[in-house]
Amino acid sequence: MRKLLAKAALAAGICFAGLCAAVPAVFAQEATIVFNTNEVGAPTYNPIKASMLNAATGLIYDMLVEQDADLSFHPHLAESWEEAPDGMSWVFHLKKGVTFHNGEPFNAQTIPAWLELFKESDNAYMSEAIDKVEVVDDYTVKFAMKHPDPNLLYNLSSTFMAIPEPKAYKALGDKFGVTEAIGTGPYKLETFNVGSETVLVRNDAYTWGSPLSKNTGPAKIQKLTFREIPEESTAFLELKTGGVDMLLGVPTDFMGELKSEPNIALLTLPGSEVAYMSINVTSAPFTDIKVREAAAFAINQQEILDSIYGGVGSVANTFLISALPESQVDPKYLVKYDPERSKTLLDEAGWKMADDGIRAKDGTPLKVSLWTQSDTSFRRLSEVVQAQLKAVGIDAEITSFDSSSIRDQYKSGKQQLAVRSYEWNNADIVDWFFGGDRLGYPNTSMFNDPKAEELRKKAMSGSANSEQRQANFKTYHEYVLSQFPMAPIYQPTVNVAYNKDRLVLPEHIRGTEVGPATFMDMTVKE
Amino acid sequence: MTAAASSARPALRDHLVARAFRTKTGAIAGGWLVLLALAAIFAHVLTPYEYDVQQLSAAYSPPSLSHWLGTDEFGRDLLTRILYGARISLSVSVISIGLSVLAGMVLGAAAGYFGGRLDRMITTVIDLSWSFPEILVALILVAIIGPGVTGTMVAITVAYLAQFARLTRAQVMAIKSETFIEAASGLGASHRHILFRHLLPNAITPVLVSGMLATGDAIILEATLGFFGLGAQPPTPSWGAMMSSGTALLFKAPWIIIFPGLAAAITVVSINLFGDALIAGLDVRSRPRTE
Repeated sequence: MRKLLAKAALAAGICFAGLCAAVPAVFAQEATIVFNTNEVGAPTYNPIKASMLNAATGLIYDMLVEQDADLSFHPHLAESWEEAPDGMSWVFHLKKGVTFHNGEPFNAQTIPAWLELFKESDNAYMSEAIDKVEVVDDYTVKFAMKHPDPNLLYNLSSTFMAIPEPKAYKALGDKFGVTEAIGTGPYKLETFNVGSETVLVRNDAYTWGSPLSKNTGPAKIQKLTFREIPEESTAFLELKTGGVDMLLGVPTDFMGELKSEPNIALLTLPGSEVAYMSINVTSAPFTDIKVREAAAFAINQQEILDSIYGGVGSVANTFLISALPESQVDPKYLVKYDPERSKTLLDEAGWKMADDGIRAKDGTPLKVSLWTQSDTSFRRLSEVVQAQLKAVGIDAEITSFDSSSIRDQYKSGKQQLAVRSYEWNNADIVDWFFGGDRLGYPNTSMFNDPKAEELRKKAMSGSANSEQRQANFKTYHEYVLSQFPMAPIYQPTVNVAYNKDRLVLPEHIRGTEVGPATFMDMTVKE
Repeated sequence: MTAAASSARPALRDHLVARAFRTKTGAIAGGWLVLLALAAIFAHVLTPYEYDVQQLSAAYSPPSLSHWLGTDEFGRDLLTRILYGARISLSVSVISIGLSVLAGMVLGAAAGYFGGRLDRMITTVIDLSWSFPEILVALILVAIIGPGVTGTMVAITVAYLAQFARLTRAQVMAIKSETFIEAASGLGASHRHILFRHLLPNAITPVLVSGMLATGDAIILEATLGFFGLGAQPPTPSWGAMMSSGTALLFKAPWIIIFPGLAAAITVVSINLFGDALIAGLDVRSRPRTE
C-alpha cells in the first residue's frame, strides 16, 4: 500500500512537473531544439522531391557516404567503395544488418529502386551521371556512369540523397515525408507539423552509426523535439528562459548577450553561406563591364564584417566559401574593396561626379535599383551596401520583397543589383547561379557568356577525376569573377547556442554542421 | 465638394475643434499632434544630423547629450529619424485617409441618394471589401502595386474606403426622407443642388470625425507595412521599419525599438483621444439641418 501511494505521489509529481516545463530533470532524456531560421517552413521530409530540407532530415535517414567538417568523405551505409581509373564505374560495398524503420531490410536491391525514384524530380541532376545500377550481390552495387562524375561522393553525402524506403515511398505517394517518413536513421519521425514542430523518437534498433560519431549504437536521447521559430529574438528568449535547449542558428547580434549568460554555451562553426550582390549584366548601365567592376570594388567587405557582424565570420572575396580549394583563385581575380579603382573606372566609363554626389552621364544620373529580401538581416546589409555605393557616386534605390516571392520577381529579369546569399559547400554552385540556361532565377545576374558556358560544361561533366574537376572549376570560377556578374560580401559563421546545464555535446563537432554525428553523441544531464 | 461644404458651415466646425481643444484630454492630445506635425515639417531645421548619412563607428550609441535618443545600427541619430519618420507616417496616413474619405463619400452619397441598382452594386462591392480585415486588403494591394510610399498610400486609401462609404450612405439615407429635402425637391432643385447643398453638409461631420479616428489606424497600418519591409524603402525612415530592425537588437540597443514605438503609440492614442473629444462635442440632434 505504501509503495502504491509512493508511486501515485511520484506519478502526480511527474504530471505536475510535466505541466511546468521549468523542471527539466524529470524528462532528462528529451531535448528541444530550434531550427536555424533559414530552415523554417521546410514543407516535407521527402529528400527526393524537396528543394529545402532541415537539420532533422539527417536523423530520419542515412546516406551512403558522410562528409566531415574538413570536407573529406567517410563511409556510412556504404562501407567502402572503388572508383574505376577512368571514372566510368563505381562499386559500393554496403553495410550489413541495416533495416528501415518499417522493418524492411536495406541491401543492394534498395539502391536501384531508390535511384529510380529520382526520375522527374528537380533533384535528378544529383544522380544524372549514373547510367545503370547493377546489383552484384546482396551487399554490392556497381554504378555504370554516363560520364565520370568526380562530384558523386559529394552528392551521395548530401541529405537530398538520403535513402528513403522505396516501397513505403511508392505506397504513400505525396504523403511520404509529410505524414510518414521511413528511413534507416537513428530517429523515427513521430509527428510533423509544417512550420511549427517535428517530434522524433529514438530508433532503438539502430547499430549502424557513421564513424563520425563515437557512439554507433542507438542514440542517447530518447526524444528530440525540433521547433520552428521564425523570429530570432523569440528563439533567443526561449533559450534564455529554459523553454528550449538548443538553437541551431544564432544571429551574431545576440552573441554578446549569450556569452554573458552563465548557463549558455556557444559554438562557432565555419558555415557554408556566402552573402553577395548580384549584378544584372543585361541591364544598363551594368551592360558596361567597367560599371560592374566599379560597383563590385565599391563594396567595403571589411567594414561590413566589422560594423554589422561585429567581426564574427570572414570577408568574401570570391564567390565560393574559403574552405573550397576552387576559391583559391589567382589574386588578380579577388574582388576586394578599392574605392579609387571604382571611381577611376566610373570616370573612364563616362560617369562624371555631379554636385549632388551622384554621378551622371549625358545628363542621366547613375541611379540603379537594389533588390533585397524584407528580412531584417538582409535589409540591414543592403542599407550599408547602399551607402557604400553612394560613396563612389552610385545612387541605389532599395526595393525589398518578401522572401517567398522574390524568386518569382527575379524570374522577370528586371533586377539590377540584388543583395542575396546562398548556402552550399561545393563549387558547382557557380554553375547553379551563373549557368546560361537558368536566367532570372537562380541566375539573377542574367549572365550568359559563350566562354563561360564552355568552361562550365568542362567543369560540370568534362572532368575525369577530382583534381581535374577542381582545376576546371577554378578556371570557370576565375572567368566568372573576371566578368563581374556579382560582388562577394561576407561569409557568416554558423553559431549554435545550447544550455550547458542541460546538454552535453561532443568535444569536436564532426560533419559539415551540427547534424547526425553530433546528435548521436549528445546526452542530457541527469 | 468639401469646399462647398466648409463654406456652408464654417462656424460649426471651428466651434467643434475649439470645443475639443477646451477639454483637458483634447488639449493634451491635440497639443502633441500639433507639436509633432510642426516638428515633422521643420525637422531639417531642428536637427543637425542627416537621416540617411551612416556613421558606422557611432552605431548603437545609447541616448546621450549629442544623440538624445541614441543612434541606430548604422550610427544615424534616432531622434532625427523619428522626426523624418513622422513626416512619412503623418503625411501618408493623412493623405490616404483624405482620399479615402473623399472617394468613400462620393460612392456612399451616390448609393444612398439614388438607390436602386446603383446602390445595390456599390453596396455589394463595399460590403465585400468590408468583410476583409484592412491589413489583408493592404497586403494584397501592396503585393500587386509593389512596396514603397505610393503602394502604401493606395493600400490604405482602399482599405478604409468601405467604412466611409457605408457611413455616408447611412447618413444620406437618413436625411434623404426629411421634409426639408422633399421641400427642396418639390421646389425643383437639381440632384446636384440637393446633394451638395443639403445632404452632404449635413452628413459630413460624423464622416470627418470617423476619418480623424481612422487616421490613427492608418498610422498603425503604415507602421505595420513598414515593419514587414513593404512601406517606405530605406534609407527613408518609417516608424514601422525602424521598429522592425529594432526587434533583432532588442537586447543590444533597446532604444532603437522603444522610441519609434513610443512615438507611434503616443500619436495614435492622441488621435483617438482627440477624436473622442470631437465626438463629445458633436451633438447630432441639436445641430440645425439647414442654413
